Amino acid sequence: MSQMNGEGTVHARGLRKSFGERVVLDSIDLDVASGEIVCIIGPSGSGKSTLLRCVDGLEEIDRGVLRVNGQDLGFRETPRAYQALKRKEVAAQRTRIGMVFQSFNLFPNMTAQENVMSGPVLVKGAPKAESRRRADELLTSVGLQGHGDHYPWQLSGGQQQRVAIARSLAMDPSVMLFDEPTSALDPERVGEVLAVMKDLAHRGMTMLIATHEMGFAREVADTVIFMDGGLVVEKGSPADVLGNPQEPRTCKFLETVL
Amino acid sequence: MTTTSESVRKDRDKQDLPELDATVKPRVHRRGALEYFAWLCCALVALGVVRTVFTNENYQWDVVAQYVTAETVLRGLVMTVVLTVLCMTFGALLGLLLAVLRVSPLRPVRILAGAYITFFRGTPVLVQLIFWFNIAALYPHLAIGIPFTDVSQDIDVNRLISATTAAVVGLSLNQAAYQAEIFRGGFASVDKGQIEAADSLGMSRGTKLRRIIVPQSMPTIVPATGNQFIGMFKETSLVSVLGVGELLMSVQLIYARTYQTIPLLIVACVWYLVMTLLLSYPQSLIEKKFSRTRARVSNGPAAVPTQTEMMGEAK
Ligand SMILES: Nc1ncnc2c1ncn2[C@@H]1O[C@H](COP(=O)(O)OP(=O)(O)O)[C@@H](O)[C@H]1O
Ligand SMILES: [Mg+2]
Repeated sequence: MSQMNGEGTVHARGLRKSFGERVVLDSIDLDVASGEIVCIIGPSGSGKSTLLRCVDGLEEIDRGVLRVNGQDLGFRETPRAYQALKRKEVAAQRTRIGMVFQSFNLFPNMTAQENVMSGPVLVKGAPKAESRRRADELLTSVGLQGHGDHYPWQLSGGQQQRVAIARSLAMDPSVMLFDEPTSALDPERVGEVLAVMKDLAHRGMTMLIATHEMGFAREVADTVIFMDGGLVVEKGSPADVLGNPQEPRTCKFLETVL
Repeated sequence: MTTTSESVRKDRDKQDLPELDATVKPRVHRRGALEYFAWLCCALVALGVVRTVFTNENYQWDVVAQYVTAETVLRGLVMTVVLTVLCMTFGALLGLLLAVLRVSPLRPVRILAGAYITFFRGTPVLVQLIFWFNIAALYPHLAIGIPFTDVSQDIDVNRLISATTAAVVGLSLNQAAYQAEIFRGGFASVDKGQIEAADSLGMSRGTKLRRIIVPQSMPTIVPATGNQFIGMFKETSLVSVLGVGELLMSVQLIYARTYQTIPLLIVACVWYLVMTLLLSYPQSLIEKKFSRTRARVSNGPAAVPTQTEMMGEAK
């Protein structure tokens, strides 16, 4: 991942997002360096998913700065305002951000291999034969060699999630977002997905992960962010935030999950 | 020596046969008196219908038999089939277009498509048909040409709109409105997560529609369209008021001459029934096929979010 042009970084200043009257993210500041692994923890409804969805451009923010891969997401900054980008330009930004959803969201009308090929072929117009070869490589790298012809319903949750990760990686993203990637899995399937994520982390991918897996956060994260009520309450190294929390709200949350 | 009550029970349970092992005994369900009564009513009704159908001479079954394969009737039947296929094809194509316009990011486009659908679903199709038949009264001359030039072709609307074109235009435009709603319902049945996954990959609107939304909404769209097809088959009888020589019109022409109204209407009904029964077989296969794939898709772990997340992301 090149350090040039802020590739692989995420920066937010005073990011605010509301749904109607309801403020879901309030003055969020976030800095993710290239290759950094950031785990976001916090109770349900604290805004973890919304933050990740904003960073992926699935939700438009109300106010503040949001720069992903060194570019303002979805907008161009002018002296007096942020001007919306063209649809094509937004799509181009999105191809460099990968998102892994809690519910996998594999395309059920496509095989595992077709799912992984879908980005390169349908979005980038890459040649099919080459994309197929690449898809098989990616499936192998997530431990799913030989599953390329299977449809999502023929795969277990853990396998589906690994296909979903491969599908995102096929676009060669500089930033990967994970929204509780193991929460919908049977407990015995969690490990296989976390293993793939660890592997990715070791290869220097920038990762922003909402998770309830405290053990994983402790082991893999460079930074842990604790969110509550749409605010970043505490932020620091896993040892500090998980081992020696300063804020009472963090303590209370950690008591309930550990 | 067995007592009477024992022998009764023995008789009922058929214990003269060797007793089965408890683990393999079949479970016999109770049939209530109500069920026997319902069967009795059913039989009585059937008997009554059969009796009157065969004893009432006004049915004139010989006339029915005589005309059921008459050439006029068969030509009418062919016309009905052709009309059905034509109107369904045009209706489905236009309906798809309307459904896509209906979800356009441009508000005025959405409004226009919505207005079309409201109008054509909100007025009776019979009235629409007569309206198209008389459209020449509204626009006697139609000039097709390139705007702001002298190149144009004047068309006599009276000649353009024959009864058959009025029928095809009327039924197709009406069908398009219903078909658009079917497509829209199908599009809406696609899980939101699918759209988000596609957006996240940077897929364009067109690609998303063709590769994700349309294929995934087929399980909803195809069976509903099959029903429309069967409905259209019967709906074509309406165009007999315009004088189009379809099935109903052709039997009407005959009984206008012979006054054998009832047997000829039976002839028409026989054909409508035969055709709808023929059509409902593939329809049931289609429904079965798609309900299976849908169950498969929605049984996957993907569709089972955890309880907390369902509350957390209620939208
Ligand atoms: N599309 C939406 N419309 C309205 N409210 C929403 C929407 N998405 C999320 N919310 C609300 O935003 C809050 C934060 O949700 P979320 O980001 O999903 O939290 P988390 O992922 O931490 O559980 C919740 O209270 C949720 O109800
Ligand atoms: Mg969430």
